[in-house]
Amino acid sequence: MIHCFTCNGAHLLLDADSGAVHVVDALVKDLVPYYTEGDPEAAAQALASSYPPGEVAAAWDELETLEKSGALNADYGYGEAYLKRPGVVKSLCLNVSHDCNLRCAYCFASTGDFGGERLLMPQATASAAIDFLVARSGGRKQLEVDFFGGEPLMNWDVVKNTVAYGRAREKEAGKRIRFTITTNALAIDDEKIDFIKREMANVVISLDGRKEVHDAVRKTPSGKGSYDLIIDGARALAKALDGREHYVRGTYTALNTDFSKDVLALADLGFTQLSVEPVVTRDERFALMMGDLPRIRLEYERLAREYVRRRKTGEWLNFFHFMLDLDDAPCVAKRLIGCGAGNEYVAATPNGDIYPCHQFVGEDAFIMGNVHEGRFDEAMQRRFAGLNILKKPACRDCWAKYFCCGGCAANAWKMNKDLYAPDRMSCEVFKAHLECALWVYASERSLPFPGEDGDKMQTNVEDYPGG
Amino acid sequence: MKHIRTIKEPVLRQKPSETGCGECQASCQSACKTSCTVANQKCEKK
Ligand code: SF4
Ligand code: SF4
Ligand code: SF4
Repeated sequence: MIHCFTCNGAHLLLDADSGAVHVVDALVKDLVPYYTEGDPEAAAQALASSYPPGEVAAAWDELETLEKSGALNADYGYGEAYLKRPGVVKSLCLNVSHDCNLRCAYCFASTGDFGGERLLMPQATASAAIDFLVARSGGRKQLEVDFFGGEPLMNWDVVKNTVAYGRAREKEAGKRIRFTITTNALAIDDEKIDFIKREMANVVISLDGRKEVHDAVRKTPSGKGSYDLIIDGARALAKALDGREHYVRGTYTALNTDFSKDVLALADLGFTQLSVEPVVTRDERFALMMGDLPRIRLEYERLAREYVRRRKTGEWLNFFHFMLDLDDAPCVAKRLIGCGAGNEYVAATPNGDIYPCHQFVGEDAFIMGNVHEGRFDEAMQRRFAGLNILKKPACRDCWAKYFCCGGCAANAWKMNKDLYAPDRMSCEVFKAHLECALWVYASERSLPFPGEDGDKMQTNVEDYPGG
Repeated sequence: MKHIRTIKEPVLRQKPSETGCGECQASCQSACKTSCTVANQKCEKK
């Protein structure tokens, strides 16, 4: 399966199975649909008026040569044989606090309480959850525990003691736990920064970008914007984590479809590890609609140009969705399955209930067990393990499948009440930033466009109308 | 080639036995956890 697209004026061609990426000229771009149909006569006829005689046939030959070399229309036959047996849990989301010190309007956790009571996880539950993880992890050596909420800093002693408990358990069991945390930075202080720096392998700091954008949605319980309250703490935390894995992440909504400005505002503040994500909600005030897509797409393209420009001129930044490692990427087994929710990955709530992942919390039909009772619904685990791109009709024929890996099951459930039906809006946004990521990949290799006598790809934001 | 320039060569076809050791980080495609999506991940075996 191939996908030919244009991004920031460049035409790129991705071969899904082989992962090969090509930069092509306008002629090849126009030719690809005919090539896919296998109809050279129709191509010659349709393109005769646009391109010099002989060139269409020459370009056709190039596509054929590429195909023979295995870099186009490769069929690797990745199917059921690559799916691994379910049964191991190796990654745990610990919702240590079903309470939050903010009241963000778009919060999927209903401002922290997940539609239930505001609760903190007792230590006994956190420790039992670690025991559950270790016991269920079979032969796996690398385990993961993410402190999540609500806001995990509201239950700080439990975070600290759970790390200590995990460190003891990992030694006994001959495993290694990778701890991570997601925080809004409101309650951060020096002691917490030191601890996080020492113990956490990745940190996600929630911050939406420009002050006015942030304050419009990320509010305190009294209804005031939280930007001024969190920004110093967020900066101190990010500074302490410089050179280490962490992300400042924001959410964009219908209120800020010009989100490239938010990413760049964060970069201007000195944050270097950035991400923004589209909101997934049914709330009409914030929901992104199909009609927003062209604008969103342009926004990623704009961001990609400025991204490449800054990185070239030494203003280093990483944007999560533009970081593609095409060489050391995960294996196909991983790509068929994606996130592993409900199978390898589960979430535990303050009272010890186990859900397929943090986004299913509060959906009673998805309770898989409880860490105290040692109960675990293996039938549901098998059901979730069966969620792969081979089984999802939309994914089977999707060119992005080996990068997206089937999307988010929780979003599929939230939007379509069907685990096998990915949320279409999320798909389109994913494909938009993937195309831009491939463009960034091509651009940063600074390769000349074919057919244009060595012209470098345009990466200068000023050169585009509307910059 | 005049019209096409390859910037990423094909990767080798993997065998079922070579994949899925499961030691890499769990991923999450969702908006609320930028911990990892598969596209940005690395294989632990490499
Ligand atoms: S560590 Fe590598 S081989 Fe193992 S499951 Fe992850 S991507 Fe596949
Ligand atoms: S979830 Fe959507 S974007 Fe992802 S592979 Fe499936 S159809 Fe493609
Ligand atoms: S179902 Fe969605 S939210 Fe849950 S782990 Fe998977 S990608 Fe993340």
